[in-house]
Amino acid sequence: MKNLLLRNRYTLLVVTLIVYMGVLVTEGMITGREARGIEFENPYFDFNSTDFEGFRQRRSDSENENIRVEFDGTGDV
Amino acid sequence: MDKFALLQFYALLKREVLEHRNIFIGAPVVVALLLLVAATWVATQIDQSDLAGGLRFVSVLFDGLSPFDIAPFIMLLAIPFYLTLYVCSVIYLINTLYQDRKEMSVLFWQSMPVSNLQTVLSKIVAIVLVAPIFYVLIIFGMYLVAMVWLTVLGISNDVDLVGIGYLFLAAIASLVLIYISAVVTGLWLLPSVGWLLLFSAFAKKTPLLWAGGVFILVGFLEDFIFGTQFLANWVASRTSDPNQYLIFEFQSVFERVFNYDTLFGIVVGSILIAGAVFMRRFTD
Repeated sequence: MKNLLLRNRYTLLVVTLIVYMGVLVTEGMITGREARGIEFENPYFDFNSTDFEGFRQRRSDSENENIRVEFDGTGDV
Repeated sequence: MDKFALLQFYALLKREVLEHRNIFIGAPVVVALLLLVAATWVATQIDQSDLAGGLRFVSVLFDGLSPFDIAPFIMLLAIPFYLTLYVCSVIYLINTLYQDRKEMSVLFWQSMPVSNLQTVLSKIVAIVLVAPIFYVLIIFGMYLVAMVWLTVLGISNDVDLVGIGYLFLAAIASLVLIYISAVVTGLWLLPSVGWLLLFSAFAKKTPLLWAGGVFILVGFLEDFIFGTQFLANWVASRTSDPNQYLIFEFQSVFERVFNYDTLFGIVVGSILIAGAVFMRRFTD
């Protein structure tokens, strides 16, 4: 077994990476690990890096709202 | 550990410092000089009376404040040094074992009474524990020069310097926080340290490309084989928030070092470091 693992640099690299992946995936499954993203909350915008689609959606909603306000301001619409 | 083993380890650490003086000493000295030159240039652009007024304001502001309360703010001055240490560490770790094989000095060191484990450990200790000492000493030198300059300025403009004394005490306290932060960051990023060392020992050419390429490939493989993204999640959760490893108060040191995430990172890092130790036997 030892001879097989340490036969050459490539087998050793593959074995190390398999152990590394195995430990991380097992731990991830046990703990249900999820990405811990960056979160900003302030009066101007809310941003959560794990929910980027939601940020785009909110931003586009907010832009539409601004356009509507501008139209209302002109008195033409 | 007997006295001979300690001497061996000390010699290995000394070798690392001497061989990489640019990374341990040169880089932070250049950053300190650049900051001092920038500060001098800014001072020459300001009117002398405004400068004295600013100094008087700073002196009053810091007078009587606890140095430990101000220290986290003073730490902001160390950000350029922190970034320099980070970049230098990546360069050092990815090249160190590769360079040994490239210039064939690995054969010399393997003929000496030091094991591969001791050699690899000396490199980790050098970058995690020893390099921050040099950085902190150089920052201390920079603070001393700045304090002498402020004192001369204060005396020549008849400014009460008690507050500046408190500022200096806060700067000293911040040095301890900077060192602890650097060491905790080293422990927190031990998986990255192990990864870089593994590919430094493995690659016959372009170790950085190997390290980056395999990192991306392994992420894709996990998604492809298992349909999960635990590796990507793990990396994201360890790199997204600097508050996980930066220390801003002495009370939080124990909590930052002895928590599940840090200890699990040390276990994962140890797997990769063990791979690097075994990999070092392939000297071709």
